[in-house]
Amino acid sequence: MEENQWVKNQLRQLEKESQDYKQKALLQETLALLLEQEKREEQLKGELDGTLWSPGNWSS
Amino acid sequence: MKTLIIVSHPSVLESGSQQFLIQSLPDDEEITLHILEETYPNGDIDIKKEQKLLVNHDRILFQFPFYWYSSPPLLKKWQDEVLTEHFAFGYRGNKLKDKEFGLILAIGLPEKEYKTGGREGFSISELTKPFQAMAKKTGMIYLKPLTIFQFSYMSEKQKKALLIEYQQYISLEQPITLKSREEWLLKELEKTPQETLATEDALFILEEVREVIEDNRIELDELKLHLDNYDDK
Repeated sequence: MEENQWVKNQLRQLEKESQDYKQKALLQETLALLLEQEKREEQLKGELDGTLWSPGNWSS
Repeated sequence: MKTLIIVSHPSVLESGSQQFLIQSLPDDEEITLHILEETYPNGDIDIKKEQKLLVNHDRILFQFPFYWYSSPPLLKKWQDEVLTEHFAFGYRGNKLKDKEFGLILAIGLPEKEYKTGGREGFSISELTKPFQAMAKKTGMIYLKPLTIFQFSYMSEKQKKALLIEYQQYISLEQPITLKSREEWLLKELEKTPQETLATEDALFILEEVREVIEDNRIELDELKLHLDNYDDK
Protein backbone atom coordinates (compact mmCIF):
# COMPACT_ATOMS: atom_id res chain seq x y z
CA MET A 1 0.00 0.00 0.00
CA GLU A 2 3.00 2.32 0.48
CA GLU A 3 3.41 2.71 -3.29
CA ASN A 4 0.23 4.76 -3.31
CA GLN A 5 2.18 7.88 -2.45
CA TRP A 6 1.41 9.39 -5.86
CA VAL A 7 -2.34 9.12 -5.28
CA LYS A 8 -1.99 10.68 -1.84
CA ASN A 9 -0.01 13.61 -3.19
CA GLN A 10 -2.57 14.15 -5.93
CA LEU A 11 -5.38 14.13 -3.38
CA ARG A 12 -3.56 16.78 -1.31
CA GLN A 13 -3.19 18.91 -4.41
CA LEU A 14 -6.83 18.47 -5.45
CA GLU A 15 -7.94 19.52 -1.99
CA LYS A 16 -5.71 22.56 -2.01
CA GLU A 17 -7.05 23.73 -5.36
CA SER A 18 -10.71 22.90 -4.89
CA GLN A 19 -13.04 25.90 -4.72
CA ASP A 20 -15.74 24.22 -2.69
CA TYR A 21 -15.52 23.80 1.09
CA LYS A 22 -17.54 20.58 1.28
CA GLN A 23 -15.45 19.15 -1.53
CA LYS A 24 -12.24 20.11 0.28
CA ALA A 25 -13.54 18.27 3.34
CA LEU A 26 -14.39 15.22 1.27
CA LEU A 27 -10.92 15.11 -0.31
CA GLN A 28 -9.17 15.64 3.03
CA GLU A 29 -11.11 12.79 4.59
CA THR A 30 -10.52 10.53 1.59
CA LEU A 31 -6.81 10.92 2.23
CA ALA A 32 -7.41 10.24 5.93
CA LEU A 33 -9.29 7.07 4.98
CA LEU A 34 -6.39 5.86 2.83
CA LEU A 35 -4.04 6.33 5.77
CA GLU A 36 -6.48 4.52 8.04
CA GLN A 37 -6.65 1.59 5.63
CA GLU A 38 -2.85 1.40 5.63
CA LYS A 39 -2.76 1.44 9.42
CA ARG A 40 -5.38 -1.31 9.57
CA GLU A 41 -3.34 -3.36 7.13
CA GLU A 42 -0.25 -3.03 9.31
CA GLN A 43 -2.22 -4.06 12.37
CA LEU A 44 -3.65 -7.12 10.63
CA LYS A 45 -0.23 -8.11 9.29
CA GLY A 46 1.18 -7.79 12.78
CA GLU A 47 -1.63 -9.90 14.16
CA LEU A 48 -1.08 -12.53 11.48
CA ASP A 49 2.65 -12.55 12.24
CA GLY A 50 1.94 -13.02 15.92
CA THR A 51 -0.47 -15.84 15.16
CA LEU A 52 2.02 -17.65 12.89
CA TRP A 53 4.72 -17.47 15.55
CA SER A 54 2.49 -18.50 18.41
CA PRO A 55 3.57 -21.90 19.85
CA GLY A 56 -0.10 -22.85 19.95
CA ASN A 57 -0.06 -23.12 16.16
CA TRP A 58 3.15 -25.14 15.84
CA SER A 59 1.58 -28.54 16.31
CA SER A 60 -0.55 -28.38 13.16
CA MET B 1 -33.56 5.94 5.50
CA LYS B 2 -35.12 9.24 6.54
CA THR B 3 -33.42 11.34 9.18
CA LEU B 4 -35.01 14.07 11.27
CA ILE B 5 -32.65 16.56 12.89
CA ILE B 6 -34.32 18.50 15.67
CA VAL B 7 -32.20 21.53 16.47
CA SER B 8 -32.67 23.59 19.59
CA HIS B 9 -30.65 26.70 20.31
CA PRO B 10 -31.86 30.02 21.78
CA SER B 11 -30.10 32.01 19.02
CA VAL B 12 -29.25 29.59 16.26
CA LEU B 13 -28.28 32.31 13.76
CA GLU B 14 -25.54 33.58 16.05
CA SER B 15 -24.11 30.18 16.89
CA GLY B 16 -20.95 29.38 14.95
CA SER B 17 -21.17 25.67 15.60
CA GLN B 18 -24.87 25.37 14.70
CA GLN B 19 -24.42 27.40 11.52
CA PHE B 20 -21.44 25.26 10.55
CA LEU B 21 -23.45 22.07 11.05
CA ILE B 22 -26.45 23.38 9.15
CA GLN B 23 -24.24 24.43 6.23
CA SER B 24 -22.57 21.01 6.32
CA LEU B 25 -25.76 19.10 5.62
CA PRO B 26 -25.58 17.00 2.46
CA ASP B 27 -27.73 18.30 -0.39
CA ASP B 28 -29.32 15.13 -1.61
CA GLU B 29 -30.10 12.96 1.36
CA GLU B 30 -33.47 12.27 2.88
CA ILE B 31 -32.94 14.72 5.68
CA THR B 32 -35.36 17.04 7.46
CA LEU B 33 -33.83 19.90 9.38
CA HIS B 34 -36.21 21.16 12.03
CA ILE B 35 -35.17 24.16 14.11
CA LEU B 36 -37.55 24.41 17.06
CA GLU B 37 -36.93 28.06 17.96
CA GLU B 38 -37.57 29.13 14.35
CA THR B 39 -40.69 27.03 13.97
CA TYR B 40 -42.12 28.00 17.34
CA PRO B 41 -40.83 31.48 18.28
CA ASN B 42 -43.63 31.76 20.84
CA GLY B 43 -43.01 28.32 22.21
CA ASP B 44 -46.45 27.00 21.21
CA ILE B 45 -45.67 23.56 19.89
CA ASP B 46 -47.97 21.88 17.37
CA ILE B 47 -48.02 18.45 18.97
CA LYS B 48 -49.84 16.60 16.19
CA LYS B 49 -47.48 18.00 13.56
CA GLU B 50 -44.44 17.01 15.60
CA GLN B 51 -45.72 13.51 16.17
CA LYS B 52 -46.35 13.12 12.47
CA LEU B 53 -42.79 14.26 11.72
CA LEU B 54 -41.46 11.65 14.13
CA VAL B 55 -43.54 8.86 12.62
CA ASN B 56 -42.32 9.76 9.12
CA HIS B 57 -38.63 9.40 9.95
CA ASP B 58 -36.40 6.46 10.83
CA ARG B 59 -33.57 8.22 12.63
CA ILE B 60 -34.31 11.00 15.12
CA LEU B 61 -31.43 13.26 16.13
CA PHE B 62 -31.40 15.99 18.79
CA GLN B 63 -28.84 18.67 18.03
CA PHE B 64 -28.15 21.29 20.70
CA PRO B 65 -25.57 23.03 22.85
CA PHE B 66 -25.08 21.09 26.07
CA TYR B 67 -26.25 23.69 28.63
CA TRP B 68 -26.07 22.70 32.28
CA TYR B 69 -25.85 19.03 31.35
CA SER B 70 -29.10 19.20 29.41
CA SER B 71 -30.82 20.76 26.41
CA PRO B 72 -32.08 24.33 25.91
CA PRO B 73 -35.57 24.81 27.41
CA LEU B 74 -37.63 24.54 24.20
CA LEU B 75 -36.35 21.03 23.50
CA LYS B 76 -37.28 19.96 27.05
CA LYS B 77 -40.74 21.49 26.53
CA TRP B 78 -40.94 19.62 23.22
CA GLN B 79 -40.16 16.35 24.98
CA ASP B 80 -42.75 17.03 27.69
CA GLU B 81 -45.49 17.85 25.20
CA VAL B 82 -44.79 15.68 22.15
CA LEU B 83 -43.70 12.38 23.69
CA THR B 84 -47.09 11.60 25.12
CA GLU B 85 -48.50 8.43 26.62
CA HIS B 86 -50.21 6.17 24.04
CA PHE B 87 -47.95 7.72 21.40
CA ALA B 88 -44.41 7.28 22.67
CA PHE B 89 -44.97 4.92 25.60
CA GLY B 90 -47.69 3.17 27.58
CA TYR B 91 -50.64 1.26 26.15
CA ARG B 92 -50.31 1.18 22.34
CA GLY B 93 -47.66 3.85 22.64
CA ASN B 94 -45.25 2.24 20.23
CA LYS B 95 -44.94 4.82 17.46
CA LEU B 96 -41.22 5.35 18.03
CA LYS B 97 -40.33 1.70 18.53
CA ASP B 98 -37.21 0.53 16.63
CA LYS B 99 -36.38 4.00 15.36
CA GLU B 100 -32.84 5.18 15.94
CA PHE B 101 -32.13 8.03 18.31
CA GLY B 102 -28.93 10.05 18.60
CA LEU B 103 -27.53 13.21 20.15
CA ILE B 104 -25.35 15.80 18.44
CA LEU B 105 -23.86 17.85 21.24
CA ALA B 106 -21.88 21.07 21.08
CA ILE B 107 -19.88 21.21 24.28
CA GLY B 108 -17.94 24.20 25.60
CA LEU B 109 -15.19 22.45 27.54
CA PRO B 110 -12.54 20.02 26.30
CA GLU B 111 -13.22 16.29 26.26
CA LYS B 112 -10.61 15.54 28.92
CA GLU B 113 -12.68 17.32 31.60
CA TYR B 114 -15.58 14.89 31.21
CA LYS B 115 -14.21 12.07 33.31
CA THR B 116 -13.69 11.26 36.94
CA GLY B 117 -11.03 13.65 38.23
CA GLY B 118 -11.66 16.11 35.37
CA ARG B 119 -13.15 19.53 36.04
CA GLU B 120 -16.65 18.29 35.19
CA GLY B 121 -16.11 15.01 36.97
CA PHE B 122 -18.64 12.97 34.98
CA SER B 123 -18.55 11.44 31.52
CA ILE B 124 -20.89 12.45 28.70
CA SER B 125 -22.38 8.95 28.93
CA GLU B 126 -23.29 9.61 32.57
CA LEU B 127 -24.57 13.12 31.96
CA THR B 128 -26.83 12.10 29.07
CA LYS B 129 -28.62 9.35 31.03
CA PRO B 130 -32.05 11.07 30.81
CA PHE B 131 -31.86 10.94 26.99
CA GLN B 132 -30.78 7.31 27.11
CA ALA B 133 -33.72 6.57 29.41
CA MET B 134 -36.04 8.39 27.02
CA ALA B 135 -34.83 6.23 24.13
CA LYS B 136 -35.25 3.08 26.23
CA LYS B 137 -38.76 3.96 27.37
CA THR B 138 -39.90 4.74 23.85
CA GLY B 139 -38.26 1.62 22.35
CA MET B 140 -35.74 3.54 20.26
CA ILE B 141 -32.22 2.36 19.55
CA TYR B 142 -29.74 4.71 21.21
CA LEU B 143 -26.80 5.62 18.96
CA LYS B 144 -23.37 6.70 20.10
CA PRO B 145 -23.61 10.49 20.34
CA LEU B 146 -21.69 12.83 18.07
CA THR B 147 -19.85 15.07 20.52
CA ILE B 148 -18.27 18.34 19.38
CA PHE B 149 -15.94 19.75 22.00
CA GLN B 150 -14.89 23.42 21.82
CA PHE B 151 -15.92 24.07 18.25
CA SER B 152 -14.51 27.61 18.28
CA TYR B 153 -11.00 26.31 19.02
CA MET B 154 -11.03 23.76 16.22
CA SER B 155 -8.51 24.06 13.39
CA GLU B 156 -9.68 24.18 9.77
CA LYS B 157 -8.54 20.59 9.37
CA GLN B 158 -10.56 19.47 12.40
CA LYS B 159 -13.61 21.34 11.12
CA LYS B 160 -13.42 19.62 7.76
CA ALA B 161 -13.12 16.26 9.48
CA LEU B 162 -16.17 17.16 11.57
CA LEU B 163 -18.13 18.07 8.45
CA ILE B 164 -17.64 14.57 7.04
CA GLU B 165 -18.22 12.88 10.40
CA TYR B 166 -21.48 14.81 10.74
CA GLN B 167 -22.65 13.85 7.24
CA GLN B 168 -21.88 10.23 7.97
CA TYR B 169 -23.57 10.32 11.37
CA ILE B 170 -26.74 11.56 9.68
CA SER B 171 -26.84 9.21 6.72
CA LEU B 172 -24.76 6.07 7.32
CA GLU B 173 -26.24 2.85 8.54
CA GLN B 174 -25.19 1.86 12.04
CA PRO B 175 -22.79 0.62 13.19
CA ILE B 176 -20.40 2.82 11.22
CA THR B 177 -17.36 0.76 10.19
CA LEU B 178 -14.23 1.39 8.15
CA LYS B 179 -15.83 -0.55 5.30
CA SER B 180 -19.06 1.42 5.39
CA ARG B 181 -17.10 4.68 5.46
CA GLU B 182 -15.11 3.51 2.42
CA GLU B 183 -18.29 2.82 0.50
CA TRP B 184 -19.78 6.14 1.55
CA LEU B 185 -16.70 8.09 0.47
CA LEU B 186 -16.58 6.33 -2.89
CA LYS B 187 -20.19 7.26 -3.53
CA GLU B 188 -19.59 10.86 -2.53
CA LEU B 189 -16.48 11.12 -4.72
CA GLU B 190 -18.56 9.99 -7.64
CA LYS B 191 -21.07 12.75 -7.01
CA THR B 192 -18.59 15.52 -6.27
CA PRO B 193 -18.91 18.45 -8.75
CA GLN B 194 -16.13 18.60 -11.31
CA GLU B 195 -16.40 22.32 -11.95
CA THR B 196 -14.89 23.20 -8.57
CA LEU B 197 -11.90 20.94 -9.13
CA ALA B 198 -9.02 22.94 -10.59
CA THR B 199 -7.23 20.43 -12.78
CA GLU B 200 -8.34 18.71 -15.95
CA ASP B 201 -6.85 15.50 -14.63
CA ALA B 202 -9.18 15.49 -11.65
CA LEU B 203 -11.40 12.72 -13.04
CA PHE B 204 -8.40 10.51 -13.77
CA ILE B 205 -6.99 11.12 -10.28
CA LEU B 206 -10.31 10.34 -8.61
CA GLU B 207 -10.52 7.13 -10.62
CA GLU B 208 -7.05 6.18 -9.37
CA VAL B 209 -8.15 7.00 -5.82
CA ARG B 210 -11.14 4.70 -6.20
CA GLU B 211 -8.90 1.88 -7.40
CA VAL B 212 -6.52 2.29 -4.49
CA ILE B 213 -9.34 2.29 -1.93
CA GLU B 214 -10.87 -0.81 -3.51
CA ASP B 215 -7.51 -2.60 -3.75
CA ASN B 216 -6.78 -1.80 -0.13
CA ARG B 217 -10.16 -3.26 0.82
CA ILE B 218 -9.42 -6.49 -1.03
CA GLU B 219 -6.10 -6.73 0.76
CA LEU B 220 -7.70 -6.09 4.15
CA ASP B 221 -10.39 -8.70 3.55
CA GLU B 222 -7.75 -11.26 2.51
CA LEU B 223 -5.72 -10.62 5.64
CA LYS B 224 -8.82 -11.06 7.76
CA LEU B 225 -9.60 -14.31 5.98
CA HIS B 226 -6.11 -15.64 6.79
CA LEU B 227 -6.54 -14.67 10.42
CA ASP B 228 -9.97 -16.31 10.60
CA ASN B 229 -8.44 -19.52 9.20
CA TYR B 230 -5.89 -19.60 12.01
CA ASP B 231 -8.54 -18.84 14.61
CA ASP B 232 -10.50 -21.88 13.46
CA LYS B 233 -7.59 -24.25 14.05
